Amino acid sequence: MKHAIQVKKLRKEFNKKAALEDVDFEVYQGEIFGLLGPSGSGKTTTIKILTGELKKTSGNVSVLDMKPDLFTSSDFKSQIGILSDNSTLYERLTVYDNLKLFCKLYNAPLQQIDEVLIQVNLKNDSKKVVSKLSKGMKQRVLLAKALIHKPKLIFLDEPTSALDPGNMAHIHQGLRALNKAGTTIFLTTHNMEEATELCDRVAFLHKGQIQELDKPDDLRYKYSNNTFHIETFSGEKLEIENVPENAEQIKELIIEGSVKRMYTDNPTLGQIFLKVTGRELV
Amino acid sequence: MNFQRINAIFEKDMKDFMKNTMLLFMPVTPILLAALYSQMSMGEGDGMPISLVYLVVGVVFSTTTSGLIMIMMAEENEKMTLRGLIMSPASFWDIIIGKSLVTALLTLVTLIISLLFTDIEHFFNIKAMTGLILLFLFFLFLGMGVGLFVKSVGITSAYLLPIMFLFGFTPMFEAFNLADTAMKVAETFPIIQLLKMHEDNSWAPLGVVSLWVIGAALFAYICFIRTRRDD
Repeated sequence: MKHAIQVKKLRKEFNKKAALEDVDFEVYQGEIFGLLGPSGSGKTTTIKILTGELKKTSGNVSVLDMKPDLFTSSDFKSQIGILSDNSTLYERLTVYDNLKLFCKLYNAPLQQIDEVLIQVNLKNDSKKVVSKLSKGMKQRVLLAKALIHKPKLIFLDEPTSALDPGNMAHIHQGLRALNKAGTTIFLTTHNMEEATELCDRVAFLHKGQIQELDKPDDLRYKYSNNTFHIETFSGEKLEIENVPENAEQIKELIIEGSVKRMYTDNPTLGQIFLKVTGRELV
Repeated sequence: MNFQRINAIFEKDMKDFMKNTMLLFMPVTPILLAALYSQMSMGEGDGMPISLVYLVVGVVFSTTTSGLIMIMMAEENEKMTLRGLIMSPASFWDIIIGKSLVTALLTLVTLIISLLFTDIEHFFNIKAMTGLILLFLFFLFLGMGVGLFVKSVGITSAYLLPIMFLFGFTPMFEAFNLADTAMKVAETFPIIQLLKMHEDNSWAPLGVVSLWVIGAALFAYICFIRTRRDD
């Protein structure tokens, strides 16, 4: 599979203090990759290095087959979209005028504006002045701005942090559609449900280092206690280890028709993060 | 350079300008000053003295050119919208030219109205016009650099006042009875050089003003590069 992003031994220091240490990961073209970590873990620093807003101290970085010295080129910028904590809008202008500016800067057709406004559920708000919008609506306009030129790769730093569940679901739907159309998505989030639902692979970043990297389901399996929880009609609660030797016992219970409920208790990504790093994702 | 991108930035700035009352009133001050001076010198026969005309020119460039671009850039910097432009495919020149066009247009209108009140005929020759263009570039780059350097619009007035005083009101320095060394330094300032050009009918002062333009352009460029990255 072709890489959209390659990071090897990445190190970033601020005032001789390491914010990122030997960070290694790859993002494949067409996947949704989630970088998860608490505040201050280095997520935003990683995005800023990958988008050319920060210089790395050492290591190798390549995005869309381009090295950091090309990250300031128009060619690079026209292939990526960014929604970060630095992203802002012109408050005195309308939603439409803001998007029109970026449509022209990216040389995208103006019809794109309506398309992205539908994608972020703001079709009826295009004439509204940005200063009059709620925080959640502004976040959706910023997302529309990042998508306006149909980038090959999009960086989303906490894209749904200010959204209500309804709009979050709408955005997720839009992102999945975008991903299906071939856009690679690199996102950072605190929201474990979001990561489980959206990401093909996730990486846990803690204290500037990648602690785990895998598919969410594989991670949940890896950190499960590998036990079947069985509740019988007689009220008995059994915990049977998921090993071949116990297959007969489970089979018998099923044949007897005494199984009321049976489940495994794979941990959530949040629980795994806590287990791996010793701290919660806040 | 990409004209579509330059035009997009100009169009956005024009819309933003029309909704910004603070900026809308900035060109009014030099026009009122020019009207006032024209009333003061009425009936004196020989028209307005050239030093007074250049004082009006200095006020136009310092308040309108430097003031407008400084506030516009400082606002972009403060609200992080400049980063959005920088992270787009627009080049350094697309952004700089696009952002300068509104200021250029307003400076032109303000300058013409102000000079119509005073004495526009002094500038009906190539040398004087070149001087005005160089002066415009100097004040534009100076304002741009300060706008990029400061972190908020609120701080711009602290920088605009010294610029107005030093580079806009320079023709008044003679009246202040300054020390010889201070006067010698002031004589190298752009407006005094252009006054010299009128008096001596020489091209040399334009060279000195060009050096000021290059210095201001370098200052603006360094400040722009600083805003491109977070480190």
